[in-house]
Amino acid sequence: MFELLVLLIKVGFVLNIALVLGSLCTWLERKGSALIQDRVGANRAGAFVESDRWYLKPILPVIRMMGWLGVINTLLCDSLKGLWKEDFVPEGTSKFLHAVAPIIAVMPIMLAFAVLPLAPDFYLFGYRIHPRVAPIDAGLLFVLAMGSVAVYGVAIAGWTGNNKFSLLGALRAAAQMISYELPMGLVFVALIVVYGTLDVYSIVEQQGDLVLGFLPKWGVFMQPVGFVVLLLAGMAETKRGPFDLPEAESELAAGYFTEYSGMKFLLFWLGEFCEIALFALLLALLFFGGWQIPWVQLPEGVWWAALLGHFVLMTKVVFFCVLQIVIRWTLPRFRYDQLMNLGWKLLLPVSLANLVLTAIVKVLA
Amino acid sequence: MSSVLTYVGLSMVLFVIGAVGVCLRRNAIVVFMCIEMMLNAVNLAFVAFSKLHGNLDGQVAVFFVMVIAAAESAIGLAIILSVFRNIESVETTDAGQLKW
Amino acid sequence: MNVISFLIGMTAVVSGICVVGLRNPLFSAFALVVNLLAVAGLYASLDAHFLAVSQVVVYAGAIMVLVLFVLMLLNLKSESGRRLGFVRCATALVVGCMVVMSALPPILAHFSGMSSSTVSDNMMSSVGTVQAIGRELYTKYVAQFELASLVLLIGIVGAVMLAKRKNVELAPRPGGLVGGSK
Repeated sequence: MFELLVLLIKVGFVLNIALVLGSLCTWLERKGSALIQDRVGANRAGAFVESDRWYLKPILPVIRMMGWLGVINTLLCDSLKGLWKEDFVPEGTSKFLHAVAPIIAVMPIMLAFAVLPLAPDFYLFGYRIHPRVAPIDAGLLFVLAMGSVAVYGVAIAGWTGNNKFSLLGALRAAAQMISYELPMGLVFVALIVVYGTLDVYSIVEQQGDLVLGFLPKWGVFMQPVGFVVLLLAGMAETKRGPFDLPEAESELAAGYFTEYSGMKFLLFWLGEFCEIALFALLLALLFFGGWQIPWVQLPEGVWWAALLGHFVLMTKVVFFCVLQIVIRWTLPRFRYDQLMNLGWKLLLPVSLANLVLTAIVKVLA
Repeated sequence: MSSVLTYVGLSMVLFVIGAVGVCLRRNAIVVFMCIEMMLNAVNLAFVAFSKLHGNLDGQVAVFFVMVIAAAESAIGLAIILSVFRNIESVETTDAGQLKW
Repeated sequence: MNVISFLIGMTAVVSGICVVGLRNPLFSAFALVVNLLAVAGLYASLDAHFLAVSQVVVYAGAIMVLVLFVLMLLNLKSESGRRLGFVRCATALVVGCMVVMSALPPILAHFSGMSSSTVSDNMMSSVGTVQAIGRELYTKYVAQFELASLVLLIGIVGAVMLAKRKNVELAPRPGGLVGGSK
């Protein structure tokens, strides 16, 4: 019974983290893009709110501040708008698949969060708590598998759009996601060679050690090429940034979700932002030591150390979210052949060579 | 043991469904998918037997079946595509000529 | 077989029937995806973790996406012609069942000889973790493993050769924009 309760709390916690990071990315995208493009961005909704209710009085400044920062606009008003919009279904397609596609697009991303640890293990009331939902042995492979299942939401969405633009967007997205999965998988293999395990928790644990006496054994120092490849492949997987060919609005209206409106449309967006957060979390866990602070040894199994580790991890995650959003708003979109060339002719050979080199170093050392 | 044999029974059911599909359907791609389902049924039986025997040989066999299925799907779909280019159809009944 | 794996098995059977029964090939493909994911779940319940994940990666993630690609590109209509007759379906079912049932007696004969204690011992020792499968593949089956990579290479080359369009000599359009495969 206690185990079940702990599991439920963990599921709620992980889902909460995923959604909070997703909405944080939404806000960062709105305000960040405004900053980059020298605009002001959302700053009205809730900024001038007045109320005589006694229970609202003390938090009025906070609400005004949030409104001024655009938080209320991007998170509350936009979602409410989505809920009240007409739910449009194009003629001549399967209504069922049209409704199910956004769910299929979001679900694998949420599932991938289940195998990723969010803090070091700790003891509470004598129980050892693992802060992840599913401590499975093939954690990294599971993330990869969920990435490949995410193609279906996009493919179904494009097909149920029942027009050329949606279908083209879906085909582009599927081709792009499959192409960039290969270098991603090869980077994972190189990491497995370095750390000798597929378990993300154990990989993070090992990153607390030092190499050469002073350098933290972080993935970015062990696998610098792998880090760059995974960053690029991850951004291509999220179909954003310079890789947003599937939804290129100047060519394809909105790509695979052209025919979606209301909450279904927002669900695609939520999935996309959660995927950004997922890749930020992966980068932080695999390459930047997760919850490890360099040269600092936190005591093991204590709850405050776990909490501190969690905040350290989240700081890194937010940093990578910001990095992805900055790249997305800085670089122009690729041409389609450039995208495929980058994937197949650059990233794939580079990651293969990286893997071979890693294996040679591992054998010699 | 009986619980593992249930998996074998399930694999038989899946195999029969796949075989029936191969016999009944005329769309070459659906026939191809039914063959994949039959392969999967056999894989399931392999895994169940590996469980019963207590070694991993069955699971390794499944791994190889997956490799072959991947190669087969690439070739098979390419064949279906080139047939479609020639006769504008993927129905097996339409591909009855030996020469065109 | 507990409740969850029973439900997964039922999902596999129902989606399998859908693959055969649905007339639109695209729906068949989606049903097959569900079927493959369900079989992956069954692998996981049989402690074959590596196979469960690679089933999702290889079958659901690669093969079925390829099939979907082809189906969407060809834009096929539902299967034409007359409906499948009941007699035909029944005959196929009976024949298929008979073929498979003929395999049942040897299986039962083989496993009825095993004592239940050896079986429960065996069940403990056949957990298909990544390490265990990898050790088998790279020691006992290393030659087959390399041959499998060769098969994949031949598959790639063959697929490219087959799917390559011959005679792509598209004439330059009058507007000056050149169409073509390059």
